[in-house]
Amino acid sequence: MTAIKAESLVKSYTTYKRGSGFKETVKSFFKREKVQINAVDDISFEIEKGSICGILGPNGAGKSTTIKMLCGALFPTSGSIDVMGFSPARDRMKYVQKIGAVFGQKSQLIWDIPPVDSFAMNKAIYGISDADYKKRLGEMTELFGVEEVIHKPTRVLSLGERMKCEFIMAMLHSPEIVFLDEPTIGLDVIAKNRIREAVSEMNRCGTTFILTTHDLEDVEQLADDVIIINHGKKVFDDTLTGLKNILGSKKIVTLTLTKPCTGDEINGARIIGRDNDFDISLEVDTEKQPITEFLKSLTDHVSFKDISVRELPMDMIITRIYSEGQNPLPPRWSVQQG
Amino acid sequence: MRYIRIFFTCINTAISKAAAYRLDFVLGNFITLLSNVIFPLVTVLIYANGAQFPGWTMWEVLLIQSVFSMSNALASMICGSVLWVTMDHIQSGSFETVLLKPLSPLFYIACANFDIESLGLFLGGLAMTIISASFTGISGGNGVIMFLLLFISGAAVMCGLELIMAAISFKWVGNSRIPEIFESIKEFGKYPIGIFPKAVQVMSSLIIPVAAVGFFPASALMGRLDMRSLISVLPCILFLLFGVWLYNRMIKNYEGVGG
Repeated sequence: MTAIKAESLVKSYTTYKRGSGFKETVKSFFKREKVQINAVDDISFEIEKGSICGILGPNGAGKSTTIKMLCGALFPTSGSIDVMGFSPARDRMKYVQKIGAVFGQKSQLIWDIPPVDSFAMNKAIYGISDADYKKRLGEMTELFGVEEVIHKPTRVLSLGERMKCEFIMAMLHSPEIVFLDEPTIGLDVIAKNRIREAVSEMNRCGTTFILTTHDLEDVEQLADDVIIINHGKKVFDDTLTGLKNILGSKKIVTLTLTKPCTGDEINGARIIGRDNDFDISLEVDTEKQPITEFLKSLTDHVSFKDISVRELPMDMIITRIYSEGQNPLPPRWSVQQG
Repeated sequence: MRYIRIFFTCINTAISKAAAYRLDFVLGNFITLLSNVIFPLVTVLIYANGAQFPGWTMWEVLLIQSVFSMSNALASMICGSVLWVTMDHIQSGSFETVLLKPLSPLFYIACANFDIESLGLFLGGLAMTIISASFTGISGGNGVIMFLLLFISGAAVMCGLELIMAAISFKWVGNSRIPEIFESIKEFGKYPIGIFPKAVQVMSSLIIPVAAVGFFPASALMGRLDMRSLISVLPCILFLLFGVWLYNRMIKNYEGVGG
């Protein structure tokens, strides 16, 4: 069942072009050239109810603008959004009652007082009954392990503790859809894992999550589907597995050789990393040559003392999609577009 | 009912926030009170040196200024933070945290930032009003009713001004100097209107009705109100409604900042 449907979404801004230096500054004081920027440029997608969808993209790609439009905080310049039958910006008051959002760089907690007081304010704002509030707060504080923390003033909490409290703030009213805009930014590994576990747990209970992040581990560990945006345009929309396969079924083989190697390839596989002439990494296309055959052939022709085989790292896939400007629209998307 | 519950929860939160920095709360109140007490002191000095506002005794002028302080404090408590909080949200691109609440953004900002620190000014103004009124005398019955009506209208003007300034900040980001213009306009409400030229009288009664902040309600209390002044209630209400409308209209201009 579709929870979110965005069609031909556009968000454009008008800004002014200004040169640098004294002369240009004075000139721009009297005459400025208007520049139209399409932060989001004709994007369409659908997100299934109960899924976790990761929205990826480099800085300035239009991820946050997209998520703000989905939250109802920004009006689209054109196009339409349907989230559970609501048009987010138009039906904002009713709509936001059913969603939650965590902005990694924007706090919803009140700085000078304990999070529990901020929660009490949300209780009143969302009209949560005393019994539901008590039950939900108990569940959430246990899930995030912050039973004691919520009674300390927000300003004395660590970033990780604060972020966990931000999640509780966003989840108290049991939203059906939660938007996470870079929720793990700046957190240590332990805090990240705790948050990821909590998101997985809440997702198992039926909450749909839409996640923008630069941390590919967030996507690898959480997301079912991935949308990639670059320069305001959608460049990818498929499952996580689909993303991993987008550059072909490739694997990385890392070798420690016993004899130095100075060439560009070994046994038909391209060398993609070289610490020195002994420690090298190869990219093996397993569609052309199954990995077992490659390893057998490698053993026969090359002398090495250590070997490891791993998947193509996500960051490599993403970097290639960003930098090569590939437009590998999957069949699902192509069908929608007719 | 829900909005009333939210309002009181926010008051509770505002008190908690103020209590977090107790010394700051006490000192803040004291400094606000002091700076507003110094202003009437100028009036006292003027009269002590033999000068005066023609047709008005010192206590009558002090009553106008006391009522102005009370009205100013009431407006500050309700929507005094709206301008700065809105400006801050727009500059930092965090206004979406406001739009995520299932409430009118204006109501949420006003409640969540209820300025409990203006309570000291309100109580100071109230004390000065009582003292001044004890010297000028109070017109009974209708005078008190008209005072209350005009006092509320005056607070509405102040709130309207705040909202218009806040609304402008959606388009003119970081306009920290705009409040200075409005602060200057508000000054006209602190004096007997008759001392100003006709054009200023019309402006401060009907166009930007700041005379309703101090002068009209105080005049009603003293029984010196020109009944024609009651017409200023209408522009006062319109001023507030315009402020609310403009603020809500300008929200559509919110663009956020780069993520």
